[in-house]
Amino acid sequence: MQMTIPSRKEVIKDIKKRKGLVAAVLPIHYSRALLRTFDIYPIELWGPPKVDVSLGGTHLQTYVCSIVHNALSFLKMGALNVADLLLIPHTCDSLQGLASILIDLIKPEQAIFPLYLPRGQREDDLTFLADELHSLYAQLSDFTGKHPSDEDLLAAIKREEMSDLLMAKLYKKKQLMGINNIDFYRLIRSREYLPAEQFSDLADEALQTSGEPIQGIPIILSGIVPEPMEVLSTIDEMNGEVVADDLACCGRRLYEPGTGTDPFRRMAERIIYAPPDPTRGNSIEERVKYLTGMAQNTGAKGIIFYDVKFCEPELFDLPELRNALKEVGLASINVEVNINNPLPHQVATRIGAFLEMLDS
Amino acid sequence: MKIAALGIDVGSTTVKMTAVNAAGEMLWHHLETVDPRVEKQVDSFLNKLQDDVDSLKDIPLIATGYGRNLVHQAVKKVTEITCHAKGVYHQLGRGGTLVDIGGQDSKAIVIGDQGQVIDFAMNDKCAAGTGRFLEHSAARMQVPIAEMGSVALSAKEEVAISSTCTVFAESEIISMIAHGVAVEPILMGLHRSLIRRVVAMVRSVGLVPPLLLSGGVVKNPAIRKVIEEETKEKVFLPEHPQLMGAYGAALFALKMIE
Repeated sequence: MQMTIPSRKEVIKDIKKRKGLVAAVLPIHYSRALLRTFDIYPIELWGPPKVDVSLGGTHLQTYVCSIVHNALSFLKMGALNVADLLLIPHTCDSLQGLASILIDLIKPEQAIFPLYLPRGQREDDLTFLADELHSLYAQLSDFTGKHPSDEDLLAAIKREEMSDLLMAKLYKKKQLMGINNIDFYRLIRSREYLPAEQFSDLADEALQTSGEPIQGIPIILSGIVPEPMEVLSTIDEMNGEVVADDLACCGRRLYEPGTGTDPFRRMAERIIYAPPDPTRGNSIEERVKYLTGMAQNTGAKGIIFYDVKFCEPELFDLPELRNALKEVGLASINVEVNINNPLPHQVATRIGAFLEMLDS
Repeated sequence: MKIAALGIDVGSTTVKMTAVNAAGEMLWHHLETVDPRVEKQVDSFLNKLQDDVDSLKDIPLIATGYGRNLVHQAVKKVTEITCHAKGVYHQLGRGGTLVDIGGQDSKAIVIGDQGQVIDFAMNDKCAAGTGRFLEHSAARMQVPIAEMGSVALSAKEEVAISSTCTVFAESEIISMIAHGVAVEPILMGLHRSLIRRVVAMVRSVGLVPPLLLSGGVVKNPAIRKVIEEETKEKVFLPEHPQLMGAYGAALFALKMIE
């Protein structure tokens, strides 16, 4: 499938041309719609990989993950000068620490907006998050001088919901599209920086295509982010087919459409009731249920937990999660990477051996 | 010699090639220290074999090991985990937990009753728990690597080496030497340190008896003794533990033509 996906640089250039504002957004959960009503375009920052990390290393311990190390280094090298603001969700202690370091010590030119996320799915958590989003709205109003109405917010929310529904359709149709893993994830991950309407157009176009179904060894990819992206080519070369994912940057953000007319509760609902995620406090039992259901629905034979080294919320649950999955007959493997390094040969060997094991 | 299939294991330290007949019996094998020019080295292996057989035409070769992707003469590449399991299962005729200690990595592989890989764990990013740990320590102690096990077993006592890290263990060795500790107890402590690291990895997949061994390092008698002590399990190893990857690869090649 031949598709032209604009690059981050092209998208940013286009936003600037239209006098829009750019928000550099760190992982994982936030409301795109809220930013868009202020004419702020979210460009997500999952690292990025292959950065000189010595600049960030001045402020961070060695056991902080490479996503945070790289993001700080990227900012300090001036690569984020195009951003007008930074949004830092409280995903984990390292990201919260990054927000504190930026606000208290580094004081970059851009405004910093933290976003506190609750660790549960109770009514109180929903109210808390709705209030947090309300507070962010007030801060963005002060920052931009704009005061979007509830109708504006609801229109933006519906636009994002449409994009997410199309993304869910892409996942369902993937095996019939004749698209390999790397090309599929280039498309899915363009949601990290494309405006919803542009992503929806691309998704629509992709959904029209069909090709020879790929008959690889069906697996689920879990973890934070598939970086370096060559891991996907490696899986392609080894005849693996990612039939579903539980990646923080992709599948864990397949937000369902919200309900109700209060825009803040609706935005909060979408995040709170998203697929299970350890950074939002979901239990191991919930994750086992979700992953086994995903395997049953897709025919996946095993799960690759592809994790960023030192990712505390992700790795803390992993031994118990893998044991529980083993008990229900779902094989898994864990590989840890530093997103700054090229894909190690040993990781390719482990993935290859895992696929051979599933295929035997 | 009627050769049916070939397997080659390009490891981090040595290259091993085996040839099997149609019944899967190992008829020929060769081992050399690895050369960075792998393709050329494989050609020289094939030339050596050529001297002993009528023809190598249409004989399939499967490559495994760290350098498998460099073997352009191979018809297929299979990972060393799958090949070791295949080779050991075929030689010993049973499943269990295979511990392979190689020059640069170590693996724990749970093998099912039918010879299939059920689970595995690898230590591949650190010299601890691998042959490199012993090589490094042997050089420091000025003991030939081939004699390291027997010298360690001659120890009347043993000192504890708490570091599994190769670099930190060396610091401990230097400190012990400075305190006048003899070579033999230090060597015994080093073996235990390595094995404790390996056993921790084995426990991560769950030890399903019997305990099977492969890899060049298990030729060392102290390794075998200490692993039995640490796991309380009797160990079983094939006749040529170092060749099991290449043998498994040859068996997969044989399966291709069956």
